[in-house]
Order: sequence, then structure tokens, then C-alpha cells
Amino acid sequence: MWIQWILALVLSAGAVAAEPVYRERVADEGLIVPRASGDSALSGTYRYWKNPAKLDARLIGDPENNWKLNWVFLDGPFNTDMHAGHLALDRGTKLFRELNTSGTFKNCLTGSGLGIRKDFDRLRGLRTVFPRYRTDLNRVAGLEEVIEHCARLERQELQMGSHDNSAVSMFIASYSNGMPIAIDVSGGEMKKSYERGKQLFFTKMGRLNLACASCHVNKVGAFMRATAITSPYADADHYPVYRDRTGITSLQLRFAQCSLVLGINPLKMGSRSYTDLEVFFTALTNGHPVSVPSERY
Amino acid sequence: MVIFLVLNGRARRRSFAALLVLCTTTNWAADWPADAMVDTRFPMRTLIPKVVVDSGKLEWVPHDIDLTAFVTPSHLDLRPTPKPQKAVYTPPLNGDAKRGRSLVMDARAAACVTCHEVPGEQWPGNVGPSLHRYKMQQRTAAELYQQIFDVRVNLPQAVMPPFGTMGILSDQDIRDIVACLQTCE
Ligand code: HEC
Ligand code: HEC
Repeated sequence: MWIQWILALVLSAGAVAAEPVYRERVADEGLIVPRASGDSALSGTYRYWKNPAKLDARLIGDPENNWKLNWVFLDGPFNTDMHAGHLALDRGTKLFRELNTSGTFKNCLTGSGLGIRKDFDRLRGLRTVFPRYRTDLNRVAGLEEVIEHCARLERQELQMGSHDNSAVSMFIASYSNGMPIAIDVSGGEMKKSYERGKQLFFTKMGRLNLACASCHVNKVGAFMRATAITSPYADADHYPVYRDRTGITSLQLRFAQCSLVLGINPLKMGSRSYTDLEVFFTALTNGHPVSVPSERY
Repeated sequence: MVIFLVLNGRARRRSFAALLVLCTTTNWAADWPADAMVDTRFPMRTLIPKVVVDSGKLEWVPHDIDLTAFVTPSHLDLRPTPKPQKAVYTPPLNGDAKRGRSLVMDARAAACVTCHEVPGEQWPGNVGPSLHRYKMQQRTAAELYQQIFDVRVNLPQAVMPPFGTMGILSDQDIRDIVACLQTCE
């Protein structure tokens, strides 16, 4: 009676297992390492921007070559513009105080008793260790996902990618300004997530059949009309960022925006693949200091 | 399949029904993944994010182009990438170089100028080689047609998008662009 159903199941499962989905990958994965200094072997511009306190003013003034500074001159203290990032930071400060009136919001973020280092009883340095594995969520999660989760426990809705979620994220990141990003992708779930993120980064997709790596590895420094293609290293340190075209933008939101250029349908914020990409980009920022509020185009 | 054919009529009908159910309930090849931002109530279906100042909600609004057919980075996406495809080009070219040029320049059409230097454009790209004075290259129409249709056939690691295979440019579009390139001074 049920034999046909079982047969159909086995047959179709067999068909899926036998033929892996055809995908094209960009080569050169060996070029990528999980620390910002890895850029020396990719774009060779690391020496110009590795020390944000010592940027070459001549490069800043040169529109053909200022991309070589990885746009670090758009961060404070070089950028003295009163841009909307500053307003978002103020908003984040206010929201955080409201959410944390009983202290439970901060406890949830820092993960007291959740297997996270005890010294994170304060916000200082917290930004530098996200994304990380969270035992309470039972998965790797970025700071914005944890903010959404902890706000929900306070009966507030702060969706990932929303202005107010990014504002709170920016407030928390401001306690880590100047501290280097330091996530550990050498083992466990974090390593798996990093490897999946890397794989995605090198896989061709979308209407134009491009991979992130088609541009951000193979064509760094080339111009697409007036915009230079930048190194994928040291991007995560200035997020959430203010962009004049799209407003306050979290890193995952930036993935959705970049994918529109490639003709890729955006995914849900917090989808496993965006989280893996976030782990990948943050690992490529290891060793480079947090800087908020920042501005990008 | 063989087992399917040796079953008697009634059993065959039933297993066919089972297959049909499987095809429609599982994430079958033609479907976008469950974590893609799609709303079928809109004609273009694809949704894009919009940040609303001082709000805890991220707004999703309809995009002006339907991207649901193309591979996403989702781990749940089981659709294959379209394989490199040899173009079927039949002479004569019959290309309109003037129309080709407008396609080359138009960001909403081929947008070649995003990546290539093209005569008369102040802010071209340089991701690909310059197409300045491309006439001098004297490349045949068939070669150029394949270059634009799907260059992966000759260059597996190509960066340039396969405009024909992906259905971005029609046969006539490509003919017009080839005519433009062959006359590029
Ligand atoms: C066709 C070329 C191209 C492809 C493919 C591409 N990008 Fe980009 N990307 C750009 C350009 C140009 C910029 C703008 C330069 C900038 O602002 O740093 C950019 C900027 C970015 C930034 C912002 C960097 C910063 O410092 O704020 C991120 C993050 C990013 N891309 C991620 C991705 C991801 C993820 C993918 C794959 C889904 C991808 N890109 C694919 C061209 C591309
Ligand atoms: C995303 C960037 C991009 C876009 C858009 C693009 N190209 Fe290219 N093109 C390239 C790259 C890169 C190459 C070099 C080969 C490679 O890696 O694919 C190339 C190579 C070429 C060549 C061969 C040049 C030579 O003689 O060596 C021609 C001709 C060409 N493109 C024409 C076009 C036309 C016409 C369009 C628009 C329909 C276009 N390209 C759109 C990136 C692009």
C-alpha cells in the first residue's frame, strides 16, 4: 500500500543526492586569511590604512587613489561632518537606557552565565567578540541578532536591520572604539560558519552570474564608473554605518544592498547564510579597530 | 523509473500521485528558497529593504525587477547555475550600431559602460578591457556574439556576465551591440 510512496521518496532522494547542484566558484580562495593584515597579499594597500592614526593626507586628497586608504578617512576623527550616524548614536543611547532599566537587557547581551567570558559584565570590548556562538540561541549569532533577541525579552521589537536595532548596536560598538576586532574562527561552530561564509563569497550567483569574489578579490581597485571596488578586509569595523543613499545600515543589510547590484533576491535578515557571511567579513577584520559612528557612500 | 513502469496501472497511478505531491511540497528546483524576501502579491515579487528612521521595524518594499528566478546565497537554494551555453549565431549580422550604442550606455539595459571604457563616456569602468577603438581588433561577428552571449564557453573563469544565457539581452540586442563594437572608433 505505502510501498509506492516510499519508492517515490527513495527515488527522488536518490536523484537529489546523486547529482550535486551545479555551481561555479571563483578560484584563489587560498588568498584569503581571517585577519585584516591578510590584505597585504590581496590589494597590497594594508600598509596605507593599517594604522588609522597615521593616514597619508596626500592620498586622501587624490580621488584616483584615495580608495587605497580603504575609506578609513571617512571614520572619525578625520571625518568631522555631523552626519546622521551621530544622530543614530544618540538615539541608540536613549533606547539602550530605556531597554535596560532593570539591567536584564545588558545581562542578556553580555550573556552572563551563558558560557561567555565573565569580564563582559561591562559593554567595553563586547563589539569585538561578535558574531559568536550563543548557548541560549544554540547557534552562531551576530550582535544585531542578539539585540533583537534580548529586546524581545524586554517586550520590545527591534528587528535586525531596522534603524533602532542598528542604533543600539552602534551605541554598544562605541564602547569598543579603538579596540581591535577579535573573533575566533579556529574551531567549532565559528570555524564551520566562517568556512561556509567563505564558500558563499566565492560562489557565483544571481542574474549576472557574479560571485562577491569576482569583484572583491579579482578586481580590487578597479573602477565601476566613479566607484572603486574595495578590499573585503577591514569592512566590519565601521558597521552599522551611515550611508547617504540608504541611511543607517547594518552589515547584513549591506549584503542585501550589494546583492541587488548583482541581481540577487535579498534574503531575510538573520538568515543562516547572511550570518555566515557576517562571520566571514568580521574575521577578515580581525586586528583592525572598531570605529563608529562612520560614514560610507 | 524502471520500477515505476513495471507496477500495475493502479499502483502506477498512485506512485505518480506520490511523485506529484513530492514535487509540489518539497523545495523543488524551480522554487526560490524559503528565506528569500519575496511577496507574490506584487507583480515583481522581489522585496528590497528600506530603513525607516527612528523605527524598530525594517520595511520591505517591492523592487522594480523580478529576481526570483536567479540563484541566491541561501543555503536552502537548490537551484543550479545555468551552464555555459554555446550561442547559435546565424549571419548576416543585421545589427543597428546606433541602437547598440544606447544599450551599451544604458544602466538599465546592458550597462557595459559600468565595466568597460567606451568612447564618449566620462565616467566609464575599468573592470574589463577598454573598448576604445574596438574596430581595430577586427574580431568577427560570431566571436563577439559569443563573447556577449556567454564567454564562459571560451574562458571558464570569466568575470563578464553571460548576457545571453541569463536572458538579459535578446538575439537582436546582441546583434546591435556587436555592430556597435565593430564600428567603435
Ligand atoms: C560587480 C562588482 C561587485 C560584486 C560582484 C560585489 N560587490 Fe560589494 N561592492 C562593490 C563596489 C563597487 C562597492 C563600493 C565600494 C565601497 O564602498 O567600498 C562595494 C561595497 C561592498 C561593501 C561595503 C564595504 C564597506 O567598507 O563598507 C560590502 C560589505 C560588500 N560590497 C559586500 C559584497 C558582497 C557580500 C558581495 C556578494 C554578494 C559583493 N559585495 C559583490 C562591487 C561589487
Ligand atoms: C561585470 C563587469 C562587466 C560587464 C557588465 C561587461 N563586461 Fe565585458 N568584460 C569584462 C571582463 C572582466 C572582461 C575580460 C574577460 C573576463 O574576465 O571575463 C571582459 C571582456 C570583454 C570583451 C573582450 C575584450 C577583448 O578583446 O579582450 C568584450 C568585447 C566585452 N567584454 C564587451 C562587453 C559588452 C558589449 C558588454 C555589455 C553587453 C560587457 N562587456 C559587459 C567585464 C564586464
